[in-house]
Amino acid sequence: MSWSELYLGPGTWILAVLGGGLLGMDAVSWPQVMVSRPLVSATLGGWLLGNPVAGMLVGGVLEVYALRHPPFGAAKYPDTGPAGLVAGASFAASGGVAMGAFLLSVAIGWGLGWIGTVTVQVRRRLNERIMSPAGELAADPALLEQRHRVAIWLDGLRGAILVAAFLVPSVLVVTLVVGTGPSTLGRYAVASLVLGLAGSAGAAGRSSAFGVRGWPLLLVGAGLGLLLVVGGLT
Amino acid sequence: MRPLRSDHLTAWSRTFAVQGSWNYTTMVGTGIAYAVLPLLRRIYAGDPVRLREAVERAMGPFNGHPYLCAMAVAALGRLEQDEVDPQTIERFRTALRGPLGTVGDRAVWGQWRPICVLIATLSFLLGASPGWSVAIFLALYNVGHIAVRVWAYAAGWQAGLDVGRLLKGAWLERWAEKIWPLNILLTGAVALVLADVVVEQSAVSLAPAALLGMGLVGALLTFRFPRQGGRLATVLLVIAPLLWVLGGLVG
Repeated sequence: MSWSELYLGPGTWILAVLGGGLLGMDAVSWPQVMVSRPLVSATLGGWLLGNPVAGMLVGGVLEVYALRHPPFGAAKYPDTGPAGLVAGASFAASGGVAMGAFLLSVAIGWGLGWIGTVTVQVRRRLNERIMSPAGELAADPALLEQRHRVAIWLDGLRGAILVAAFLVPSVLVVTLVVGTGPSTLGRYAVASLVLGLAGSAGAAGRSSAFGVRGWPLLLVGAGLGLLLVVGGLT
Repeated sequence: MRPLRSDHLTAWSRTFAVQGSWNYTTMVGTGIAYAVLPLLRRIYAGDPVRLREAVERAMGPFNGHPYLCAMAVAALGRLEQDEVDPQTIERFRTALRGPLGTVGDRAVWGQWRPICVLIATLSFLLGASPGWSVAIFLALYNVGHIAVRVWAYAAGWQAGLDVGRLLKGAWLERWAEKIWPLNILLTGAVALVLADVVVEQSAVSLAPAALLGMGLVGALLTFRFPRQGGRLATVLLVIAPLLWVLGGLVG
């Protein structure tokens, strides 16, 4: 695929940026219906670029990685809404077939997720200023409501900026590697992702288990997955 | 004055935005004040001084699982209506923080969300369209999500000061302890099927038995050592495209 075949017009870009705003808000601020999960956001990105299947494939891998970062207490976790959208859109824009583009899209999604985490922390610091002084806000509840809503909109703006800043560069970079075909090293690249997936699944399983006693279940689950694959159900 | 049904509805709907102004000083405190405000306005109608004091109390530092914060919002409203003294309200808030976070994190973030997302991913890998898979996830997850918020708000208003006791043996906690095996089973199944799809799509020749063996050993090791294993998994994710591109360049 050449760059001239790529379609990412202004209309699509604007829709993606608006979507990024909504996805940016959803994870924490409002309404937490989980459209910000990578499975959804990457599919949305793929759909915007005409290939939702490609987007969902990227989202599925990102999801297994994200599952090992549950937001327990003060734990840090990737902001997968805007990141998933950019990753899914990038792979879809590349045609949704080339393995190099797939691997790069997933890595970009993961990296952007952690950049998003930094912006979330910056926003939380900003919220300290927005929601003070406490006495003034308590004396004027309407002002409290207004400031709270401003904080929510700022979260949306944060998500929109992430998509606006990273969508086009990501699509271009991913499109660059479309031409690279399988090679000896390419085998190791795919094996690397597969082993990474297995490792993430192990860590994700542990984060949901009550203690270390769940490991046989992980094997049984993998066995069931193997049956599905061997049985030709996938 | 007692809050009206419409006040409760507004307060409940505002719990969806309870983390909107999350910050490192009060955490979710300002969001709690935002959500409980419709109740306080009714309870202290015509008394701006007491309203101000109540809002100030509500804005104090607080944290908890966002869905279960609906319980805190309703319970705090109930305490204000029952004219419970401010010191007791403060102690109540402090006591509620831990259980609200722990129960919600374990049940919702730890079990319900992963299970829903894994079911949706598996349905996609088994042939469902992306649209259906997304719809399955959002519908399934949000049925549970909304149910928890409704239960939490209703229980908080009814129980008032007794909310802590209610949380100790909460059905959510018991449910999380029962459902986690399904979560791990699904994780194993999804990871394996997804890996197969990736290998199929790659068009490179790999030794499947060796890869499967290494994957299983890797998964078990990261289960035992999740922090170190998780970091290694991230490194593998990052070097994968680099290896691919490098292979393309050197042939």
